[in-house]
This record gives sequence, C-alpha cells and structure tokens, in this order.
Amino acid sequence: MTEVLASRSFRGLATDEAINDVHNDMDSLWLDVPFVNDMDQMTFTTAVIESASNIVQHAEPAAADPVELGVDITVAPLLLQARVSAYNAKPPFGPMEPATPGEDAESGRGLALIQALVTTVTFERQDGTNTWVLSRTSSQD
Amino acid sequence: MEFSYEVKDSYAEVKADGRLNMVSAPKLREFVTDVIAGGSNRIVVNLENTAFMDSSGLGALIGCLKAARQAGGDLRIAAVQPQVKMVLQLTSMDKVLTAYPSVEEAFSND
Repeated sequence: MTEVLASRSFRGLATDEAINDVHNDMDSLWLDVPFVNDMDQMTFTTAVIESASNIVQHAEPAAADPVELGVDITVAPLLLQARVSAYNAKPPFGPMEPATPGEDAESGRGLALIQALVTTVTFERQDGTNTWVLSRTSSQD
Repeated sequence: MEFSYEVKDSYAEVKADGRLNMVSAPKLREFVTDVIAGGSNRIVVNLENTAFMDSSGLGALIGCLKAARQAGGDLRIAAVQPQVKMVLQLTSMDKVLTAYPSVEEAFSND
C-alpha cells in the first residue's frame, strides 16, 4: 500500500467561500511536504482549484439538499492525488470532453487546462456523488 | 483580492493583488469596466502580486481586454508571476495577452 505522507480533507457547501478554504488548505499542505517541487505544487493546486470551481459554478442539486463540495488530497512518494466531489448533485450534463473555445471566449477552458496539468483525470458517479480523481506523478527533484 | 488603480501619463495601471479566481474574477471585470468608463481606455494590469490565476481569472482578463478595445484602447499585462505564466501558456492565451516585464514597458513603444 502506498504510504501517505500528508493529506487534507475539506467538505462544505459548494460556495465561493469553499474555494478560498480549499486553496488555504492546499497552501498549508505544501508546508508539510517541502520536498514536492514548486512546479508540482503549482500545477496540482491549479488543477484542484479548477475542478472545485467547476463544481461550485455548475453542479446542480439532485433534490432539496444543496450541493456540497468535497476535496480529499493525499501526497504519497511520487504521487499527488485529489478526489474532488460534488455531493447531492445531478450527473453532469453536456460534453465531458475539453472544449476548444476561440481566443476571445471568456469561458470554456477549464477542463482542457485540468487535463494539461495532471497525469490522469477520471470521473466516477456513485450514490448521487460526482467525483473527479486527479493524479499527478510527482518528480520530487 | 485587492484592486487599485492609478492614472499615469498615457495609461491607467490596475493592480490586482491576491488570487484571481472564480470569486474575484467578476470583481476584476467590474473594476476595469469602471476604470474604462472613467475615461481610461489604455490599461496595464499589474500582476506582480497576483500569485494565482485560474481559467475564470483568465476569462476576466479577456473580458477586460475586449472592453478596452471596444472603447478604442487596449489592455496589457505586466510583471506576470510563474503560475499565471503557466496558465497563459497552457491555454495558448500568451499569444493574445502579451506579458510585459514591467508596467512601464507595456505601452512604451506606442
């Protein structure tokens, strides 16, 4: 089993405040694992914030309960992983493929950016929860 | 995120200090729109203290660029930090939003 060197977990209503809370969690996480190089910290933080923002902006509640955002991040030797979840959410609608917006478009770049930042992105839906699993192989040089 | 601006000789400098994310992006758009409405259509966004930008923040900059051009001017960015530079490059928007090393250099040749 892979050794977890550091982790952070967040769960709360999918609001603007949650984005800043998750970002603060990540900033504190990197202090625990200074051997993770700046490039890995920068790219992984960006991917996680993009994914969490996508949930806050687009996830719709499946029923009366509001959508909650969950972010679970683990740092293992050579691997950074995040599970970014939308609880109480409808399945995502529309294409899950990255868009190719024109250069004057003001939105639509998020998914392509996430894919460029991490090694793998997978999607799971279970018990009314949408989860994006982001993994980045860490170089730790 | 904190916004401020200062009108210089031939342009207005807008400072955006903090994280330019989905929370602050609409505020940047609103702030720059107000600066343009105040009579400055040549804008330099000073990103020296913008440690983070996501695709929402990028979208806001593009919106501000379009607003400045619609007003007959232009918008340029300066003092870009590594994370912001990475997002610009990965989205190929570094070709649209040219980054200048300093605020002073952004409009120095025209």
